[in-house]
Amino acid sequence: MSRIKRGRGMAASWYGIARTATIDRAGAWAELDDGGTGKVVTGVTEIGEGILTVLAQIAADEMGIKPEDVTIGDNDTARSPEAAHAGATRQTYMIGNSVALAAREALKVLHEELADHWDVATSDLRAFDGQVWAEGTNHRMSMDEAVATCKARGVVPVGSASFTAHGTGLDPVNGSGSPWQAYVFGTQVAEVEVDTWTGEVQVLGIWAAHDVGRAINPRGVEGQIEGGVVQGLGQALMEEYITDKGHAITHGFAKYILPTSLDIPQINSIIVEDPDPKSPLRAKGIGEPSLVPTAPAIMNAIYDAIGVRIKTLPATPERILKALRERNPKQTPVARDNRPQRTNTARHSAATI
Amino acid sequence: MPKLTITANVNGRKISRETQPFSRLLDFLREDLNLTGAKEGCGAGECGTCSVFVDGTLVKSCLMPAAKAQGTRIETIEGLAKPGSLTVLQKAFHKTGASQCGYCIPGMVMAATSALRENPNADIEEIKERLGGNICRCTGYTKIFEAVEMTKAILAGDSPESVLEEDKVGDSYIGANVRRLDAPSKVSGRLKYAADIKMYDMLQMQVLRSPFAHATIRSIDTHEAEAMDGVACVITADDVPGNDGFGVFVHDQPIMARGKVRHVGEAVAAVAAEDVLTARRALSKIKVEYEALPGLYDPSEAMKPDAPIIHDYAPDNLIKHIPIRKGDIEKGFAEADIILEDDFSTQQVEHAYLEPEAGIAYVDPDDVVVVISPSQNITHHRHMLAEIIAKPINKVRFIMSPVGGGFGGKEDMIYQGMLALGAMKTHRPVQLNFTREESLIASAKRHPARIHYKMGLKLDGRLTAISFDMLSDGGAYGMSSEGVMRKAAILSCGPYKVDNVNIDTRAVYTNNTPSGAFRTFGGMQAQFATESMMDMAAETLGMDPFAIRRINMMTIGATTHTQQTLETASLDRVLAAAETASRWEKGAPTVRGSERRDLCGPDTRQSCTLGARIKTNHNNPRFCAQVA
Repeated sequence: MSRIKRGRGMAASWYGIARTATIDRAGAWAELDDGGTGKVVTGVTEIGEGILTVLAQIAADEMGIKPEDVTIGDNDTARSPEAAHAGATRQTYMIGNSVALAAREALKVLHEELADHWDVATSDLRAFDGQVWAEGTNHRMSMDEAVATCKARGVVPVGSASFTAHGTGLDPVNGSGSPWQAYVFGTQVAEVEVDTWTGEVQVLGIWAAHDVGRAINPRGVEGQIEGGVVQGLGQALMEEYITDKGHAITHGFAKYILPTSLDIPQINSIIVEDPDPKSPLRAKGIGEPSLVPTAPAIMNAIYDAIGVRIKTLPATPERILKALRERNPKQTPVARDNRPQRTNTARHSAATI
Repeated sequence: MPKLTITANVNGRKISRETQPFSRLLDFLREDLNLTGAKEGCGAGECGTCSVFVDGTLVKSCLMPAAKAQGTRIETIEGLAKPGSLTVLQKAFHKTGASQCGYCIPGMVMAATSALRENPNADIEEIKERLGGNICRCTGYTKIFEAVEMTKAILAGDSPESVLEEDKVGDSYIGANVRRLDAPSKVSGRLKYAADIKMYDMLQMQVLRSPFAHATIRSIDTHEAEAMDGVACVITADDVPGNDGFGVFVHDQPIMARGKVRHVGEAVAAVAAEDVLTARRALSKIKVEYEALPGLYDPSEAMKPDAPIIHDYAPDNLIKHIPIRKGDIEKGFAEADIILEDDFSTQQVEHAYLEPEAGIAYVDPDDVVVVISPSQNITHHRHMLAEIIAKPINKVRFIMSPVGGGFGGKEDMIYQGMLALGAMKTHRPVQLNFTREESLIASAKRHPARIHYKMGLKLDGRLTAISFDMLSDGGAYGMSSEGVMRKAAILSCGPYKVDNVNIDTRAVYTNNTPSGAFRTFGGMQAQFATESMMDMAAETLGMDPFAIRRINMMTIGATTHTQQTLETASLDRVLAAAETASRWEKGAPTVRGSERRDLCGPDTRQSCTLGARIKTNHNNPRFCAQVA
């Protein structure tokens, strides 16, 4: 039997968007501000996924300005409208839609004033990237001038909105109910290499196809997939918080092992867009779903490579070796045989470091 | 203790500054020079967030005594580029989206800068090795590699600097790769997280934590601690003026232990003092009399009749049971041609956000109690804290500080209440920064799960029945257990049409570290079992893994396990996308790795054998060389 084995596995998954089995809501305020800039205030929580940039893109698109001209007032319970928590893969869906609706309303206020000013129909007005114009006419001005014109007429272009997602509770006896109005689906393929002498598993490739509804920022979506895959890989192969009679054994990062740059497979993200019919943005989400299929895809790939099925996570080298031994006790390799002979040079350089 | 004067060149300027003799270089930079770009992620040299250059060499400043920096040349993230500008590498991080929460990023930028300074021609294997001492929990590292390679190409003249610019927009900003607006603040180390903020007259809080997993508290004597010079206040559960109790679904957790402790690391008392050291010394003067109680450490023991009771309101130790029933499970298994039955288990997992919990509280001039923290749910925290401190809701204000990673682990209000009590008792700002060890033992984890699975199928691969039973260790407090059990139950049997299901998920109390919200909220534990079973069924039936899933997949109009009718469904599309992209070779999953012809493609990485930096001719076996 050759020492190094490779294999492939796949797993599919599904996930619900926004809070589970309950109604969900988020609010936002928007204003077209002096200089043709935008101001959005909402109780959003940027936890790293890039939601502030996503909201700036949404507000910019709705208000006809540039994302870098949008200022976002974020979460402060005394200053911003409620948009609830950062979790449940809900921020793009819930807050994104509330910001879209609020920004749309602010632009509508501005358009009504401009339509009157230019004597055109509001339905002919357009705005994009800092310019406002009336279709089929020569009327055009910068958003800077448009806001000034609106204010000179005594009107501040503001909007506000609340967005609702209609989930219903589960029946306490049979669990029936409609927990979410939007679902996403995903599929991942993993390619692994298993060292049958040491039990070490390396994940060399992941192909991750995820439906996100509509990608507001594709690069940001990739970032969420890559981060989710690596957390899934950590749980699949190395991470384990261990306690002994309630006392943590893994009380630091020397004991609690996390994926580092050396553990990262090539991650090939495939973004699938199946638009959500129930929301103005038609986007759904990706934060949590990207993690779901990674561990089972890796376990299925390990099985493909070496014929042992790991049903207890994580698939540590010790567990892999034990499973191999139990499957075929006669062929148990002795890991010690593989230890590289240490030279004096190697020992010396280790000491210098 | 006599102070130590450090004279060094920091970011090109000569400085001479006093510090404590026990200061680490990280303390000197952050506390004495206010250079907060270097972060404390672990305090043990394991995560790399505190990386700086000392005499040109990358070091972890949490491991270096400040005294050793005497006379050295120090370069921090703040010194890489002139104020208001960015280096090529920082711009590349901005362009590729290499920063997410941003907490590891200053350290990562320093490590990547070091890699390219050490070897401007480093290949990707060497770059990965040189970044190996820096942990990132958000990005999956991929965009970071891209940024370093982009920088390398620009510096070598192989790529124009224009690649760093924003992509041109088409006719909409929806779908555009707009560069992250917050990236410049993160790649430059300018963004202030809660632990980076200093306020005038601010106290430091430290927390006394339980060494027992389950014990009655007989008494807490705080007199000696309170009398200490530099101590502003000591707080215990007795200082809570309102209804003490918080939690995401059930409010079963007191701000600090009330009458008994239920897990190791639970907060028992807290001290606010002029500095961290005084607060820590004061903790050692607090006398707590415990009486140990029998502990409960195994979830399957929790529901036995004679099991210790963790919470009086739940004599059976059950936090939540979610049942789902559809169709006729007996009939479904009777119709099956094959039945597979197996057990799976998943482990407790730590979120390991690089930013440990941190926060500040103060009482503002209008008597509003203000808490600044990187919480994922300040809306709910405001509700709960108002009740706990007996204030009208508009007299409680929560401000979100930049969140250095959360993943669900920062939804629980495990320290904000103590900060509020400290501020109310002293009317001074109070700051609390967790150590990594404290974060590990006091914060919630991913629910470990034990799953018993039974699946019935026809010979053509159609599912006829699934029985799914999951038991989870909720640990000492309820936190998000109820919601996690609900989501696990709803998603458990996967995106497949099954007429007959019998699903039960249960979370129980034990004296282990609490389990709570963690990215997927029960979804991954459940679907790990389902997706393993689907492959086991495919092998038994001799079917391709994609094929068996397609036969069973939910499509538009399908009825879910909770009997909801799906109005959209995209599983067919994602299956096709993954199958095509991965060049999947069809076949049953019968351990055919050695015969596959779809391995070792250009869309995989090389296997890692270490030593890329020293380029020795290591003779580790390489699989692709064998097959080539």
